[in-house]
Amino acid sequence: MKRLIVFLLAIAMIAVPLVGCGGGNEGGNDAGAKDDGLIRVWVGEESAEFYQKTCDEYVAAHPEFGYKIEVKGMDTGSIAGTITNDPTAAADIYTVAHDNIGKLASTQCAKPITDETLIAQVLADNPESFRKVIYSNLNGTTYLYGVPYISQALFLYYNKSMVTEEQAKSFEGLREAAAAAGTKAITVTGDDGFNMSFALLAQRVSDHGTSVKIYEGADPASGGSKGESNCQGDDTVAIYRWLQAFAADPNGFKWASSDGWDADLDKSNLGVLAVIGGAWHYNTAKAALGETNLGIALIPTFTLTAESVEGLSGVSAGEVYRGGSFADCKCFMINAYSAASKYAKEQELIMYLSSKDVQNASYLECMNVPAYVGAADFIKQCYDQGKVTESQYNLAAMQVSMAEWGIPQPFVTGTLNTYYYSKNAPAVLRAIVDKTSFPTSGDIIIPETTSLEGIRKALYLVEYLWMHGVAPKDFPASLPDKA
Amino acid sequence: MASKSKGAPNKTKSGGFFGSIGKFFSNFVKRFVDGSIGTKLSHFIFGAGNFYHKQYAKGALFLIMQVAILAFMILCPTINGTPYGYKALLNLPLKNVSEGGEFDPATGDFSAGSDCKLMILFGFVTIAVIVIYFIIWNKNIESSYKADMDRKVGKKPTTLREDVETLFDQKFHITMLTPTCIAALVLTVLPTVFMIALAFTTYNSQDMNDLGTNLFHWNGVKNFASVFTGEGTLGVEIKNRFLPVLGWTFIWAIFATLTCYFGGIILALLINKKGLKGKKIFRTIFILTIAVPQFISLLAVRNLLGEYGPVNTVLQSIGLIKEPIGFLGLHAQDSELLAKVMVILVNMWVGIPYTMLMTTGILMNIPADLYEAARVDGASTTKMFFKITLPYVIFITTPYLISSFVGNMNSFNAIFLLTGGGPAYQGYAAGGTDLLVTWLYKVTIDQGWYNTGAVIGIFTFLITATITLVTYRRSKAYNEEDTFQ
Repeated sequence: MKRLIVFLLAIAMIAVPLVGCGGGNEGGNDAGAKDDGLIRVWVGEESAEFYQKTCDEYVAAHPEFGYKIEVKGMDTGSIAGTITNDPTAAADIYTVAHDNIGKLASTQCAKPITDETLIAQVLADNPESFRKVIYSNLNGTTYLYGVPYISQALFLYYNKSMVTEEQAKSFEGLREAAAAAGTKAITVTGDDGFNMSFALLAQRVSDHGTSVKIYEGADPASGGSKGESNCQGDDTVAIYRWLQAFAADPNGFKWASSDGWDADLDKSNLGVLAVIGGAWHYNTAKAALGETNLGIALIPTFTLTAESVEGLSGVSAGEVYRGGSFADCKCFMINAYSAASKYAKEQELIMYLSSKDVQNASYLECMNVPAYVGAADFIKQCYDQGKVTESQYNLAAMQVSMAEWGIPQPFVTGTLNTYYYSKNAPAVLRAIVDKTSFPTSGDIIIPETTSLEGIRKALYLVEYLWMHGVAPKDFPASLPDKA
Repeated sequence: MASKSKGAPNKTKSGGFFGSIGKFFSNFVKRFVDGSIGTKLSHFIFGAGNFYHKQYAKGALFLIMQVAILAFMILCPTINGTPYGYKALLNLPLKNVSEGGEFDPATGDFSAGSDCKLMILFGFVTIAVIVIYFIIWNKNIESSYKADMDRKVGKKPTTLREDVETLFDQKFHITMLTPTCIAALVLTVLPTVFMIALAFTTYNSQDMNDLGTNLFHWNGVKNFASVFTGEGTLGVEIKNRFLPVLGWTFIWAIFATLTCYFGGIILALLINKKGLKGKKIFRTIFILTIAVPQFISLLAVRNLLGEYGPVNTVLQSIGLIKEPIGFLGLHAQDSELLAKVMVILVNMWVGIPYTMLMTTGILMNIPADLYEAARVDGASTTKMFFKITLPYVIFITTPYLISSFVGNMNSFNAIFLLTGGGPAYQGYAAGGTDLLVTWLYKVTIDQGWYNTGAVIGIFTFLITATITLVTYRRSKAYNEEDTFQ
């Protein structure tokens, strides 16, 4: 009997991990395998509570909907990678930045949207810039894949107790304030591809001019021409030379410290006076500075110096530029592995969640800036009616304004645009700012980024990655040259 | 003579191995030729021999197992659209794969492509099932033949009940080992074989994303070759970073092991010094660092040494430095050497108490008469330390030293939580302080380069296994067990 008990205990001990290993993942495993009466939704962590509440209200008001809804907060920065790694474990509906649409569609992690009413709503509500970047191609047919519901762009958070409103308008003004405080003027929340757009996409203030082009003329849905890209123009070289000098200045630019950009911005550390970030950094920035000290402004302007334009034509000292931004949108998408029987209801739910009313409510509760045309009027109205604080209003207003100083992150069908991230283009841009060599990116080495030629080579590499997705075998004999 | 006598057992051993294989096959023929009609039938229908000998329950059990396995092989049950059974074997070459993507806008029906991961996994599971089938097949013939033999000598063949009783009596060791072996097969062997298999595929999400596909295929030993040639998407990373990471892994393992080992011994000697007051208090203080979870200690140190941490703040406030020092290499421009020195120092802090605790116990057990005899012979304290204490401690702790060295080679926490592998090398996943194991984590979890991760994992295994086996087998603790003099 004793031996039987020992044996049964041994079996139990072994069965537990085996059963555990065989269990499904929490939050949406086997989405495609069965229709279990539940629609799972992944949204940004900061908005999960709001969307769960909104979905519950919808289900309660529409008993005929017939599905329960479970909302889970996810890190939207890495969500696309999570989905492509294992789409069967992903939610039925998920949200990503629009530039992932090509990748998710081509790796068959996303299902096209075909509901006529929903398509009509998307086309009626969203600006042309967003409408151009939410389609992709499946087996030769162009389909709508993403439904925009949040717009996002970079802007400036600054310490109002140390920087005046006037000083916050320019990098030079910030440097002046930093010199007075004995610290650094400005940092960015990260050195990833999105944040690095503040310099790459800088535009001339006088006419919004820039030589930078990314897939210009391409139709993202067609899968045909990649259009034209240019990152090696004289103005871009001059801007990076200016930024190199500003980063070398003891009161200029710095990268976020190992303790995080919020520790830099923190009023007690005074590691930096301003930071370029997005709406999703609002709560952290507010915690670092306090509501009263938190200033919000457009990304500042800067003036090209004689040193920065030396040896360059088509650009002159004294020209004023404003830092730019990828002006993106976040979209709802449907998992390709979601059961077909849920398809109609999923589209119905997306139509509701992306409606103007829900976008407005999302702004009021989570500071998600709406994506639809005319959102600025609603934001102003909220401020006038005292529904939002000054900083909350500024946040949305500045982000809407920054859309004029940026472009939606472009993509062409498939994954070409993702090479900008995966093949280290942002690291190359950082190497320019740091004036360091870039050890390798494929077969070539950029030995230095101090000289005009070195900077031009690095920018050529970035352009080449956008256009070809791989590093070039060698550099052309003379630059600039079309990548 | 000596070599002859050494060689003799080997020959016997080798002969024994091949002999047992030969015996197995000769038995097989013998059973078929000499066995009853029931035994002969058992070669085709499981349990037939048992039925023939009226062992109905046993026969039914064998038959059910045969039917279940054959059904599994023929009906090919599917999970997430990927089949088991004979179809899994056909899928194993990853030739018959589909991108999927057929979409019906009216119904929302979307056909997903083939899942190569599951195809490989299910292929191996099916092979394991086939192996189990043959084991049961052999057991069923054996069972019938044993009944034949029992009948021949006038014994009654054993019933299922008697067999079960035997399994809980004379063969209880088999009963207990069987579930353990099954668990090891499912939880250890199968994942390991799967991981090894991935090293021979193109399974990395970067390449797959680049090509816009969810499919991957076998590519032979190309991933291993890329370590030396630098070819392929990840070849540059492997070629340029493998040797530096491997070198640092060894340096780290040597320093981390020896500093903690000798630091612990010295600390134990100091605490055990005769006449020292408050020994228990000192021991308790050092043991407290063990009581605090290691990751908390490491994160606390990371904060201490951070840009706005107390160390930098104090150094700045007393004017020793103007800019904060990047102690832990968290930025690409920080000093790699400093970061390496810091992780070794911090590791001493968390590692020394373990050795101290263990050595304390050993020191207390060194026979006092050894020292007494040495004193009588006029040995000095230093001489006694080097001739008695140290050899004794080293003899006892050699296995610990080896396991500690291998453990340090795979010391994920200390590196990942302190430096995150930094300072980063622009353009590479592996940073300046990355060990093979943290690099492995980055290439798989962060980058999704599963095939490269598998190659690194195999190399790590080969290196650590070789070091462990060679050093342990050459150590006195192994060769001269129970012979410390």
